[in-house]
Amino acid sequence: MLQAVERPNIYCETLGPDQFGIIEKPLTLAERIYNKVWLRKIAILVVLALGWEIYGRWLDNPLLVPPFSEAMRALITDIGNGTIPRRALSSLEVLLVGFATGTVLAGLLTVFAISSRIGTDFLDTMTAMFNPLPAIALLPLALIWFGLGAGSLVFVLVHSVMWAVSLNMLAGFRGVSTTARMVGRNYNLSGLRFVARILIPAAFPSILAGLKIGWAFAWRTLIAAELVFGVSSGQGGLGWYIFESKNQLNIPEVFAGLLTIILIGLAVENVVFRFIEARTVQRWGMQT
Amino acid sequence: MRSGATLASKTASGTAGIESAAPAVALRGRAVTDAEAGRPLLDVRGVTMQYKTQAHLITATYRVSFSVLQGDRFVVVGPSGCGKSTLLKAVGGYLTPTEGEIRLKGERIAKPGPDRIMVFQEFDQLLPWMTVFENVVFPLKTTGTLRGKAADERAMHYIEKVKLTDFAHSYPHTLSGGMKQRVAIARGMAMEPDILLMDEPFAALDALTRTRMQDELLSLWDETRFTVLFVTHSIPEAIKLGSRILLLSPHPGQVKAEINSVPRGKENSNEAAALGREIHDMLFADQIEEIPNASGG
Repeated sequence: MLQAVERPNIYCETLGPDQFGIIEKPLTLAERIYNKVWLRKIAILVVLALGWEIYGRWLDNPLLVPPFSEAMRALITDIGNGTIPRRALSSLEVLLVGFATGTVLAGLLTVFAISSRIGTDFLDTMTAMFNPLPAIALLPLALIWFGLGAGSLVFVLVHSVMWAVSLNMLAGFRGVSTTARMVGRNYNLSGLRFVARILIPAAFPSILAGLKIGWAFAWRTLIAAELVFGVSSGQGGLGWYIFESKNQLNIPEVFAGLLTIILIGLAVENVVFRFIEARTVQRWGMQT
Repeated sequence: MRSGATLASKTASGTAGIESAAPAVALRGRAVTDAEAGRPLLDVRGVTMQYKTQAHLITATYRVSFSVLQGDRFVVVGPSGCGKSTLLKAVGGYLTPTEGEIRLKGERIAKPGPDRIMVFQEFDQLLPWMTVFENVVFPLKTTGTLRGKAADERAMHYIEKVKLTDFAHSYPHTLSGGMKQRVAIARGMAMEPDILLMDEPFAALDALTRTRMQDELLSLWDETRFTVLFVTHSIPEAIKLGSRILLLSPHPGQVKAEINSVPRGKENSNEAAALGREIHDMLFADQIEEIPNASGG
């Protein structure tokens, strides 16, 4: 049998904040170093480069896998003599034109899509058809329509950017909360002002994600397209540089070209997009 | 046709409800406030609100009439499902009544406008890409109410009023729930609208913050005497905040009574407790007779 035990009321004195010893203790140096994300990532890169170097030396066949040091030497030489910067610039120029055009078209298409039901259906149908279609598959047609040159490249770039970006934009616009919409309407915002002042900032995390995907798609498509042709496009970009070096059996240069592509990709992701994120969605607390 | 028939049957039960509440209106109506002499600022006449879901046409409120005077703290109280939020959205201009009309200063309400600023329950009513200050200044500038320095000064004035001067340049995600609601109130008041519409603005706050926010709202009202239409499902909140209380029955919302609240500062008195019980009984009695009706429709 349980018996009710009579218990007294208990009152305690609590210590004030100044009466404690150490509440916070700094971490050790090793812990602090290990906490740096970029340091950990660099460590991974160093290990990978070492592995490559050892494998390349062990294989001893520079036509298949030149060691890391060879690739780096080729990279530094060609950066020094201006070949790689020139090629990269030529690629980036086309890329930016294509990316910007694709983004603007995606924006127009999405605004059309949210302003009418037929627009939504149009965008749904178009993205369903064209998003799975690799842009590079349109290159033969583009070559017939626009000839060998920047025109064809821009065409396939626009195709690769537009659908990915508009899909994300539309998803972002649809996800804007009813409350935010009602707030906008309360202040007499309508039409394009409503889109610019409420919808775009509210959907910015999705839009930014779309831009990142679009950028990656465009970059890949461009290199692939340059590998297919580039002969007649005068200067030629990084893809053509890789193709050319392979034909001359300058395998370290091939690796140097690949490394450049990776480096540019990393720079855009970690500098440009990271900067935009820190200034917008992270500051606004819409993304952590 | 069928919906017409259901409406007619509901009229019968509705009028019976109003008749039983009528003596209360007459009795308390004599204790008039000085504001009652003026003509109504907001006039809601016979408003029926209906909306469609996938499968049903739902009548949210049925022939609701009331008028709000200048300087009123008009509270609409009722259980969930009485259409009080729908009614407030209609006053806001977001929804159009199927029957009846709503007039503000004699003008029929057709769409949302900055003369009626809404304060919502949701915290995401603050635009997250703007600081507190930018949020308050934004409506002033986009609606063209004020420009440049005048807008900045007005915004700072109201931020000061809600005691958030130190946080003027913080982003909303760094604020607590109560602070966010204070920003929303400052943003609404800075517009100096004809009427401030508040849709359960304190419902998502914890009990302590909620009480403090109610006190702050009242002291703001003491300073500026703005007109507010406040929706809540909490009877104590209605008694504390309201100068006039409208009681809605559930499913669909119909006016049960329109009564005066207790005087300011007497929300803990016996009088207030009696009023609370009276309101509770009216709403509770209603629920019992309405439940079979609701499931039938």
